[in-house]
Amino acid sequence: MARAQATPVERAARLLDLVPFISTHQGISVKDLAREFELTENELLTDLNTLWMCGLPGYTPLELIDLEFESGYVSIRNAEILQRVRLLTKQELVIILLGLDILKESFDKPRPDLNNSVDSLVAKIKAIVGNIAMAAPIVDSSQRAIIAQAIQSRRDLEISYHSTIKDAVTERRITPIDISVDLGFEVLNAYCHSACAFRTFRLDNMKSVELSELTSATPVETRQDGFEWQLRITERLRTSLERFRQTPNVREGAKEISVSVNSFSQDWLLRSAMSTLGSVEVLGPPQARSSLAKACESTLELYK
Amino acid sequence: MSRKTERLVNLTIALLATKRYITKSEIFRTVDGYEGSDESKERMFERDKDDLRNLGIDIEVGTFDPLFEDESGYRIKPENYQFQLGEVNAQEIALLSMAAQAWRGATLGASALSALNKLHAIGIESDTEILPDLAPSIVSEDKNLPIAIAAITSRTAISFQYLNEDLLAENRVLEPYAVVARYGHWYLVGNDLDRKSQRNFRLDRISGEAKLQGRAGGYEIPKELDIDTVFGVEKSAETASLLLRDGRALNLRTRCNPDTNAQQIDGWQAVKIAFKDRERFIEEILWYGSDVIIIEPSSLRSQIIDLLTKGVSQYG
Repeated sequence: MARAQATPVERAARLLDLVPFISTHQGISVKDLAREFELTENELLTDLNTLWMCGLPGYTPLELIDLEFESGYVSIRNAEILQRVRLLTKQELVIILLGLDILKESFDKPRPDLNNSVDSLVAKIKAIVGNIAMAAPIVDSSQRAIIAQAIQSRRDLEISYHSTIKDAVTERRITPIDISVDLGFEVLNAYCHSACAFRTFRLDNMKSVELSELTSATPVETRQDGFEWQLRITERLRTSLERFRQTPNVREGAKEISVSVNSFSQDWLLRSAMSTLGSVEVLGPPQARSSLAKACESTLELYK
Repeated sequence: MSRKTERLVNLTIALLATKRYITKSEIFRTVDGYEGSDESKERMFERDKDDLRNLGIDIEVGTFDPLFEDESGYRIKPENYQFQLGEVNAQEIALLSMAAQAWRGATLGASALSALNKLHAIGIESDTEILPDLAPSIVSEDKNLPIAIAAITSRTAISFQYLNEDLLAENRVLEPYAVVARYGHWYLVGNDLDRKSQRNFRLDRISGEAKLQGRAGGYEIPKELDIDTVFGVEKSAETASLLLRDGRALNLRTRCNPDTNAQQIDGWQAVKIAFKDRERFIEEILWYGSDVIIIEPSSLRSQIIDLLTKGVSQYG
């Protein structure tokens, strides 16, 4: 298991959590217990061995925690003091709070009862930690259920998709592959039968999602011909780099930056270059420059 | 095997079991694991107290005998040790577990796991009927998110280097108030100590690791902090009149109002849009190229014309 070795303090916390867990799951197998705590069986046995040495001052057999785990199943006795489930730390409360925020709109069907429960849990937690964390759900997650179903049953999807690059909503049939995250946004990786190519679709830009009757074999990934543009950035260095999906790094004293950017979409490159007209010059290829000249002329024409 | 782990567990048991405050000398005498000179026992105990506090276990200090005021005693009150959300039912357990589960695999995965272990230890089967087919997940690889949350929950100032528009790292010292996920990014909200005002920072623009600075509990988080208004659009300073080509500029259409006073032009809609940041708004308008025309304010209109003119001469 590729995981950092727990510190003695982290282990102590785990031991304190093992006791109430075993108390409510008497006779649990070592295997299941290890899985719940994400430990190897050996790590778990080491933990249990340590726990066995702990107890009330005096540390006679009467005061020590009594564990049975030789036969592959674990039971605990004489651990009343630690039997209570430990309180959630503030860090744990905060991550639960954020999780509840995004959970709220993810139920497959409208469930006002569940939303009410979420609200009351959020209120309970905010009463403890304050109003210090919030995550705004951006995806109408009823669609996620349909997407998941399509991936599982290997069926295609008919989607109506708002492409910000094309600035249009289009209907497409796609073969979904998986969901991942791209620059903070959840995206569906899929083969698009309209574009005849692999595309990523932002979940929050899907206007509607329907299961199709069609199934397609998972298409083979083909190398996509992309476009590469050379840029010189002279103003708003950070924002301009971000706009071209480059990760900005510290550059002391840089007055300008030259970078190459790649995309399968010439449209996207063109729009990005238009929007950063004041801070970025496209140096090449020549045909990129002439498209930009045309775009500038036709737009400027409107102002005359 | 670590003696320290064992000692921390034994100390917790001893302090939880006692009904009265027990003194340090009692602890050293009876709790297993305190060894060495008086001085090293003292040091051990001080560190143990801090470690337990970091685990959320609060050790209470009090005097157990009014005649010996200088000798203080310690104990852990069971109500400060146990699960604090009160009675929870199967449905609530399911919701809380899903909320923690959303973090699995992200930077806060370890906290998510310990939260899940506790929730499952309550021993109520979670109501699996409500589980969505595809549970939401929060994906954040940002190493500064756990640091930010730790700073907020312990109310400790942090310092970090923030990448400015010129790609220079600016030193910032912040009393952090909140973390917010918006528009696909994590933001940190807090009181900027050098600039003496409330600011928002995008976590992914922090260069390197943020560092805790100063002592815990060093400031108060304002009670009236309203995260929604921090990111609200109420600060929209200006309003623009513009023309949108039929069926185009879809994103702009989601937040504009029809401009009823404007002259009607075939193939275009006249609308009004409020905006905050002029530079960002210009970039947004230019993104749509010849599908959007700015009418007013005239200063904005001429900025756009200047940029397009520059474009024509640069690329022409």
